[in-house]
Amino acid sequence: MSTAATLASSPDRLTYTRDEILSSGDYDAPLIAGAVRCHGGFDADGRYRSPRTVHRAPAIAAWQGRLAREGAPLVEIPRALMPPQYPNVEQATLLLKHGVRDPIVRTLTIISIVEGFGAIIRDVRVPELSEVVVEPVEGTALAHLREGLFEAHARDESGWKDEGGHKQMWEAARDLALEKPKVPGDVLMRMMGRNAGRQKRERPYPQLDEKLERMLALMAQVLVVEVFAEGTFDWGIELLSNPEVSAEPEAAGAMVRHVRDDEKPHVEYLRTALSEIRTRTLRTVDGATLPGREVVDGMLHRILREVTRNRPREQREDIRESLIQSMQVAANPKALLEEFDALESEWTPPGRTGFERASAA
Amino acid sequence: MHPITRLHRTTIVARLAAYLYLLYKLPEWGRRLRGRPKPSEAELAPRHAKAANAILATALRMRGVIIKMCQAIATRADVFPPEFVERLKECHDAVPPKPFDVVRSAVERELGKPLDAVFAEFDEAPIASASLAQVHGARLLDGTEVAVKVQYPDIDDIVRTDLRNMERACRVYERFDPQPLELLPLLKELTTHVGFELDMEREARSADRVRAMFADDRHVVIPKVHHELSTRRLLVMERVRGIKITEKEALEAAGLDPADVVQDLMRVYVQMILAAGFFQADPHPGNLMVTPDRKLIVLDFGLSKELPEGYGLGLFELMFSMMTLNESAMVRAFLELGFETKTGDTNTFLLIARRMLARSETGTFEGEFTEEMTDELFEAIREDPVVRVPSDFVLVGRVFAFLSGIAHTLGHRANVLSAMGAGPPG
Repeated sequence: MSTAATLASSPDRLTYTRDEILSSGDYDAPLIAGAVRCHGGFDADGRYRSPRTVHRAPAIAAWQGRLAREGAPLVEIPRALMPPQYPNVEQATLLLKHGVRDPIVRTLTIISIVEGFGAIIRDVRVPELSEVVVEPVEGTALAHLREGLFEAHARDESGWKDEGGHKQMWEAARDLALEKPKVPGDVLMRMMGRNAGRQKRERPYPQLDEKLERMLALMAQVLVVEVFAEGTFDWGIELLSNPEVSAEPEAAGAMVRHVRDDEKPHVEYLRTALSEIRTRTLRTVDGATLPGREVVDGMLHRILREVTRNRPREQREDIRESLIQSMQVAANPKALLEEFDALESEWTPPGRTGFERASAA
Repeated sequence: MHPITRLHRTTIVARLAAYLYLLYKLPEWGRRLRGRPKPSEAELAPRHAKAANAILATALRMRGVIIKMCQAIATRADVFPPEFVERLKECHDAVPPKPFDVVRSAVERELGKPLDAVFAEFDEAPIASASLAQVHGARLLDGTEVAVKVQYPDIDDIVRTDLRNMERACRVYERFDPQPLELLPLLKELTTHVGFELDMEREARSADRVRAMFADDRHVVIPKVHHELSTRRLLVMERVRGIKITEKEALEAAGLDPADVVQDLMRVYVQMILAAGFFQADPHPGNLMVTPDRKLIVLDFGLSKELPEGYGLGLFELMFSMMTLNESAMVRAFLELGFETKTGDTNTFLLIARRMLARSETGTFEGEFTEEMTDELFEAIREDPVVRVPSDFVLVGRVFAFLSGIAHTLGHRANVLSAMGAGPPG
């Protein structure tokens, strides 16, 4: 074990350089997805090791340990709030068995693009935290957001230079399972959906420094997306590992599993940093203060309410239209639609997000 | 068109072609006789300026397709020197209107009846005049306000004659110059585009198509066409009013946030270009307005373009690879978009991409194709003519550069990726 790794594994070490956070160490074998060299790789035992985790993983554990010692809980996004995938695994399997491939190819392509968009996190403007947070932030995840954490996240999602990331890994999983299918020409149209890019830029906490407010809002949003992505990974692994519909079940399923492994540090650093904010006090632009907990919980409550209330229904409607269109290639589209609908799983969002009380305070 | 007019136009084009040829060749012959080295670009600059002035003067005198040619040259910094591009940009604003009598007779001929049999009012002063047509405000007998776009009389004939003359001139030029500018492909492209613009039935269909694209979006306005009154040379449309998109103070005075206006503009164009693959390719500020209740009005579908299937995804991949500095993906994207090198060496693409990135504010690609980056792309290609740029890309690049210019006028960025729903991160 290298000296650096020994240092990194120390639970007392709370401060890291940007280069350390971004370092991957050596692999015995690289990860090749399709023809693309991707990030991460395999150790001598053939185990997959995520990129940029030599120091990042123990660093996150150390910051979480510090929070635990201080008696501060980590933010927990209830899994019960996670909307189901549409089409679900059974429905998707049925479609593929009937030769209806476009909806699945479209979904997998959109997942890859959305993963790639994760790179925007590197463009987040991080404010000077000592000016907007009352308590010190040294030795926290917060202090490392622009010291490598955002950049590592961005590189994991979209790839960096000639090394592919999750975008390319999802593409590879799709191409392995479905034998390099033709991507439907309307994929971006479907992805943009009805309201892409027309959100009103709201400021729920105008008393905060705008940069801080935007950064926290984006982190809360990305955390929810990352947690809910668990459902997407389960869906992808189960579907693409099924030899009845997948040409390369082992390789395609493994590719999605690697993405899931890589995503864990994202969830953990985001919930750590947001939890650190919850234990602190934020300065407002007029010189007053605001409990960090009120802001973080308020943001999470708004986001969770939105993503569980209307969005699943809207997304289902958007997908369903093209789905029915694609079913026309089947021998009996009407019968297929009936069978498809019979496999739909019922889901009612829980009435509460779990963040109501603090956000109302 | 009268044969004498045709002969007159042919003579003018021939005279201009001869002048341009001699302007460049006489000094060249002199240089060879004296055994001097080839002139540098800087030494050629005054000659380019003279040539551009002569072309502009002829275009404004003859109008018609020569104006279109100048406008096309002004968008092709990848082919022509900067002196041409800068000077011929003036053609966009310099077209004087035709007298009302001419307009009246053209409209009546198309309608097959007198003006007052259709219109209760018809404004004599045009709202706008361009190289092929001009637009007047009017009111139908039932009181509906309309905008009437009518082609100039004989413009079809004039265009045909001018294109034939220009083609001859280009062929003669290519025969005498061993390393000619590739003018014939440009002329072919111009012929296609002018053909689109001269077919107002196509323009009406294009407007209908884009309106259908945004049918569920009450924030986008595409004027409705009165098909029963429209012909191949006449377009009668719903009259819409709004604030010109670049008038920042007027937008703010109406309670609009310029950031929202930019966001809406980008969303609409990204949806047309990247998602639907069919777009209005002329987003100059005169064609874009905003209503006080934040609706974006898009006008003029004369130059609308259909992209090949999958082109939007290819453009997205190019932007994405530039954002992540993934050079092998950049090369793949350039090739998929139809870029070619004469030698097959794809390293040239990387050099071009690096030059473009170097012209961005941060040295990285953050989702915006700025005018500077597009200029740099075309400049790089002009300097290294090993690369051929697909005409679809030229058009799309020009559109994004226009959008970037509008966004910057409003104090914001034309971020393509965030318009797709990827941000903005703040």
